[in-house]
Parts: sequence; structure tokens; C-alpha cells
Amino acid sequence: MAKPTKSDTLTSELENRLDELFQEDGPLAETASPRAGQQKPLAELKKTVLSIDWEITPEAVESFLAQIRLLKEAYQSDKAAMVLLQILGSLGQYIRTSRSKAHSSTFSLLNSVFARLEEITTHPGMPEVTKRKLLQAQMNAYQQLREKVSQRRAAGQVRPSAAQPAASAPLPLQPAATVVTAPMLAKAIAELKEFIRSEIENLQRQMKNDPSQ
Amino acid sequence: MAFVNLKNKLIQVKIVYYGPGRGGKTTNLEYINRRFAQRIQSEMVTVKTHGDRTLFFDFLPFDIGLVNGFQIKIQLYTVPGQVKYDATRRLVLRGVDGIVFVADGMTLRRENNIESLRNLQENLASYKKNLRTLPWVLQYNKMDLKQQGIAMMPIETLEQDLNQEFRRPYYPASALEGTNVAATLKKIISLTVESIRKEFL
Repeated sequence: MAKPTKSDTLTSELENRLDELFQEDGPLAETASPRAGQQKPLAELKKTVLSIDWEITPEAVESFLAQIRLLKEAYQSDKAAMVLLQILGSLGQYIRTSRSKAHSSTFSLLNSVFARLEEITTHPGMPEVTKRKLLQAQMNAYQQLREKVSQRRAAGQVRPSAAQPAASAPLPLQPAATVVTAPMLAKAIAELKEFIRSEIENLQRQMKNDPSQ
Repeated sequence: MAFVNLKNKLIQVKIVYYGPGRGGKTTNLEYINRRFAQRIQSEMVTVKTHGDRTLFFDFLPFDIGLVNGFQIKIQLYTVPGQVKYDATRRLVLRGVDGIVFVADGMTLRRENNIESLRNLQENLASYKKNLRTLPWVLQYNKMDLKQQGIAMMPIETLEQDLNQEFRRPYYPASALEGTNVAATLKKIISLTVESIRKEFL
């Protein structure tokens, strides 16, 4: 008998898997999956992230920022989620002021931070060390974006704003018409940096004190 | 184009449901989302609707799990069927790996089906793709309406109009009742993954 080829194996395994997933004999699920209830808080945010990814409209950005505000209330006891929401909020503010001039990496980072938020909130049992790695990766990516934006600004590709030093502004592109002033932005950045730093320190402390690690 | 990461053994597949407006594309995804929610552990996202019409797109991602050592992720999209949203349709087709063409079986929609298929070919051409090489299947939808006395096209007519040149798999279906929705989905996933295997593995 001929030995099954790589193609045969993949095809037959795939078909078996599809039959398992999509067999019609089970009861009709009128309600969403058990996880749906837990994920629901993020469903609206996901829509707005996809909307922004598709087209940056004032409505999409405002809706995104409104969702961030709501979620910060919902997840105030989840420190890791709060850090990611802070980053998303900062990215949202940056997109609101910069619109299509926002650095192209902003949107991939937006998607990436959202994906990590979804991962963390839908896996409540995730080990702290894993959470910390996820957070660190996102914060590094955020820092890299800040640097790229600063470099672009320094290179004079985009009109600089007010007197905000480029090096200290994480996402500093500010159209002239914006109502967000440079000092306001600097203050927000400083608060965000302090918040992230304290959260990381806190997580590190928790890791040291956790006997299961 | 599919996202294939050989190092991590990950394959991500993009499948687009295409067809005339009000043909049942969104209903297909809604049925999949509702019927198999407990197994696919996902949620459908509809980006921008106006009333019951899709303006941007519907999006339903889910994981198939490990198949022959590969983690396979599927992303289902619909496009807005209305003629004026051609730019949106073209954008959703970017990077498409497989297509389900959802035709409306009602007699009065005959021209809409033909026009939509022609539009699909034009939009694929802008990405240097075509229906001769791309994996795709047809679904002849709304077959349940025949019982209500609504004039429906015979399958032979639909085949002649849309599939004579291509001879692709086709499924008479009722997305509303779920008839052949899963069969259509399984077929397009199989064809698309097989096509990706030939190209990348």
C-alpha cells in the first residue's frame, strides 16, 4: 500500500477537523459562546480599532476614546489591562490630533496592543510572568514609536509644534488647530510614564513575592 | 496573500464572501457565528452598518487549531454589495486567499449576480489575481424562498450564468436556515489551505 503523502495527511486532518468544528447535529447556539460575556466589554473597542484601521474618521476616534474611558472603569482592578488601556488611550489621542499624518507604525501598534489586551482579559489565569513579558514588549514598541515620531519631527518632515522638546514627547505631532497644548501633552506623558513605571515595579514585586513562580 | 510563518508553524487565511447586495453574505457569517459559536470561540465584528446594510465589512476570525502541526487561523470577511461601494470591496479583497461568491437565487436578481461577478473579476485584476487561479466556490442562496412561491432561477441557469467558464464547486443554499452554509465554508477552507500548501509548504 502506498505511504500517505504530506498533502494527503494535511488534507485528511484538515477535513476531519472541519467536520468536528462544523457538524450540524448539535443544538443551535442561540446565545454566544461562554467566553462571549467576558469578551463583550472589548467587543465595542474591537469595532473601533478596526474602524480606525480602515479609515480615520473623527467619529471612529471619539468612539475609540470613549470606549477606553469606559474600559478603564471596568478594568480598574486589573493592573496589566490598565497599562495597555493607557497605551491605547495615548495612541488614540495621537491619532486624533495627527489623523492621516500619524506615523504608519501607529496602526500596527494599536492592533498589537489591543490584541494583547484581549489576550490578557480573556485569560484571567495567565501567569504574571507571561503578563509582564507581554506588557514589556508593548511598552518597548510604544517607546520605539515615540522615538520614530521624534526623529521624523526633528528631521522637519512635519511642522513642529510649540516649544515641546521632541525628545520628551512620546507622540508629539500637534496640528496647529488642536486644543491640546504642549504643556498639557507633556504633563500627560509624564503621568503615563510614571504610571507605567509604578505598574512594572508593582508587577515585579508581586512576582518576587509569588511562591508559585 | 496568506500569512505563513514556517518557523512558528502558523498559517493565516483570508476568505472573502463576495456577491450582490442583499444576497446573504452577512447572513452566512451570522449563521456561522451563531450556530458554531461554542466551537469556534470567536465573535463576529461588523464595522459600520446603516440599518441592515453593510457599509464597510463584517469580520469573523477563528482558529481551526493544530492541523498536521500547523496552527491554522481563518479570517472571514464580507464586502458591501451595493454598487457604489466598489472602493471598499476592492480594499477588502486585498490579500484575499479564497472567495465564496454568494449569488442571489431570485429570478429578478439575475443581472445583479452577473454584474457582481464581473465586478469581482475587475477588482481581482487590480491585484493581479483572477478567478482561474484563485480558490473559490459559489453559493446559490435563498433557495428556501421557492416554498413561498417566489420566482427562483433553476440551478442550471445560475450555473450557465456564473460558472460555465470556471466549473467551480457550487452549493444551493439557504443562509437564513443554514442549509449548506457549513458545507460551503468547509469547502472553501479546504481548497484555500490546499492552495497555500502547494505554494508555501
